[in-house]
Amino acid sequence: MKSKKLISVALSALFLVPSLAFLGGCGTGNETVLRVYNWEEYIDEGGEDSYAYDPIENPNAPSIIDDFESWFEETYNAPIRVEYSTFGTNEDLYNQLKLGNSYDLVCPSEYMIMKLAAENMLQPLNDAEDPDDVDFFDQTNELNYYANHVSPFIAEVFENGTVEVEGTTRRWSEYAAGYMWGTTGFIYNPELVSAEALDQGWAIMLDKNFRKRVTTKDNVRDSYFVGLAILYRKELLDLDREDPEYNKKVTEIMNRTDEETISKVQNILLEMKENIFGFETDTGKADMVKGTIALNFSWSGDAVYAINLAEEENDMKLHFHIPEESANLFFDGWVMPKGANRKAAKAFINFLSKPENAVRNMDYIGYSSVIAGEEVFEYVQETYETEEDDESAAEYDLSYFFGEGAVISAAADQLDRQLFAQYPPQEVMQRCAVMDYYGKDDALINELWTKVKGETLDGWAIAVICVAVLSIAVFVLIVKFGGKIDLFRRKPKKGYTLVKQEAYRPIK
Amino acid sequence: MRLRFSRKALCIPYVVFLLFFVILPMLTIVYYAFTDQNNHISFLNFINFFSDPTKLSTIVYSIVIAIITTVITLLIAYPVAYILARSSMKKKYVILLLFITPMWINFVLRVNAIRELLNWIGILGEANYFNTILGMVYDFLPFMILPLYTTMQKIDGSLYEASADLGAGAATTFLRVTLPLSMPGVLSGITMVFLPSMTNYVVSDMLGNSKVTIIGKFIETYFGTDWHMGSMIALILLIVVFLSTLLTGGFKSEENARGANL
Repeated sequence: MKSKKLISVALSALFLVPSLAFLGGCGTGNETVLRVYNWEEYIDEGGEDSYAYDPIENPNAPSIIDDFESWFEETYNAPIRVEYSTFGTNEDLYNQLKLGNSYDLVCPSEYMIMKLAAENMLQPLNDAEDPDDVDFFDQTNELNYYANHVSPFIAEVFENGTVEVEGTTRRWSEYAAGYMWGTTGFIYNPELVSAEALDQGWAIMLDKNFRKRVTTKDNVRDSYFVGLAILYRKELLDLDREDPEYNKKVTEIMNRTDEETISKVQNILLEMKENIFGFETDTGKADMVKGTIALNFSWSGDAVYAINLAEEENDMKLHFHIPEESANLFFDGWVMPKGANRKAAKAFINFLSKPENAVRNMDYIGYSSVIAGEEVFEYVQETYETEEDDESAAEYDLSYFFGEGAVISAAADQLDRQLFAQYPPQEVMQRCAVMDYYGKDDALINELWTKVKGETLDGWAIAVICVAVLSIAVFVLIVKFGGKIDLFRRKPKKGYTLVKQEAYRPIK
Repeated sequence: MRLRFSRKALCIPYVVFLLFFVILPMLTIVYYAFTDQNNHISFLNFINFFSDPTKLSTIVYSIVIAIITTVITLLIAYPVAYILARSSMKKKYVILLLFITPMWINFVLRVNAIRELLNWIGILGEANYFNTILGMVYDFLPFMILPLYTTMQKIDGSLYEASADLGAGAATTFLRVTLPLSMPGVLSGITMVFLPSMTNYVVSDMLGNSKVTIIGKFIETYFGTDWHMGSMIALILLIVVFLSTLLTGGFKSEENARGANL
């Protein structure tokens, strides 16, 4: 009975805690509260690192969030307070939402957007049934900065991507507004990696010449992608690049999750594990700069950071490369969970999509914004345009992203470095594939990952070790509790007898 | 009714703490371990764990790594603690401090420093298991030295004199006086090193370049995607821990009285 009572007390306490937290969360006054949940260090947080910072003019550069609060108040004449919190992985975000934490706006990556949408946890950006709803994509509304400034390239990706929600096929654009995007590739040291070696594409991870000189990411999706690209290299290279369906075909291949593929990828990854220096999440950049490794699987934003760092610290010129077969096109986007404050959330997206704010965030984070406004293009020009009399300058066409006529003359060494990482040319983007949420195959692929990462022992080895451990345990038990076996006691000398000593015990 | 303050009231904070931060989480883990994605009671996680060679291999590896770490730590720490406890050096506290100060520096920083060192020597990435064990030994050494030192210091010096009077040599004195009397320290040192070295995956990630996977890393990975399996692994680890504590006698009160828990 008693234990039952205890459990019920414990359970009621369990329910009490969130409701208490809710009470504590109530703000003062009647201001609107906007709960934003974003990646760590994924927004201009103001201060000296901010693009808006100027030691004389603007020494206390406010964060974008503060700016949003004052902008919202000015524009809509209503006070607002942003409750901003951050997460470390998409899975953390998912778990938080599942645990019942509510947010108005969250920023997952593409596959997590699809998962959340598929599980019917999101609400669309536009709600036809709500009379007060402002059309998010109405380009005549000048407050719709997102609709007015999003890059045509990104808009197309969002239009073409689909997800099944409760039996109906919906477009990504119905649920998500982009924030930052990038590709995967290699950063490499050109003094150590030749052009011929790079021609192997992703299979360089298996190249014995680079044994212990390459690293890849310590997460399942990136590694699975590498495995797929190695497995289907020939098929990918044989595709006709002029085919209008080319990108679609690449995307199909890079999203295969049939049983045969999974088991082949597993073998490739196990072989890779033997050859690479290691799996990493954050150490790769530093290892590149120090010269410990020659080549590192990298996200484009990280690559820009590492290339800058290597140049500043070591005077080392690192390059970025996107293999011929395919690369992953990824993006993070804003979505509204069910129950979100739609008006404030949409205003927040639009504020971030104001080109000058997109520049601030881009500069702070290092990734490329999905926004293609004039200010963004000017920022890119300012960063990468070379001097007019530079003879090596090359025309770099960015019209696929910024629209007609967006061409900059970039320094020759930018063509495979920062500029290339931030805005790969259109023919490279053609072969980049978005990786979908695997749906029901998710568990299979996670299982593959534990098999790749985990240790392998033969059955007999497990048995031998178990027996060994058990016998140690038994030995310890005997020594401790047996009492009769005393290893440290010598046999009595001749003529003496061993007197068994009784320990004194208190009289009960 | 008058409220009377009794001594029992003093333990209310402890009970509340225990309830919320020990018992409740434990119950939650058990709940998750024995349910599936749809929150139905299920033993599938349990069966899956014991039928999956990868998970079994990984937990066996973890145990072996933890045992090796513990043994090496003990072999290094015992002489140090013995010398420190027996010596009448005035500066011995300085030496003791030298062993303990690293504990005051942030753990991640220390592991990073070791990583740099191994990289400089040139074995980073070459000997992943060696590096992992090295990192753990370095990291857990103070946890072994301290309990050993405190127990040995408590050994009455006259016992050594008595032992010498009765004609025992140095070896006999060690085997029959020092070793038995320092056992409580050895046991509490073992408990404090063995358990964390099965789960401290920061070391295996940083120094083993994530190519060494210990069971703690699996729990972390599973908590990203499948809480139920993650909880099951955590529960099984808890049982292993419980059994090993039972084995070293951590639950016996008389040992604790003599032992030197930090």
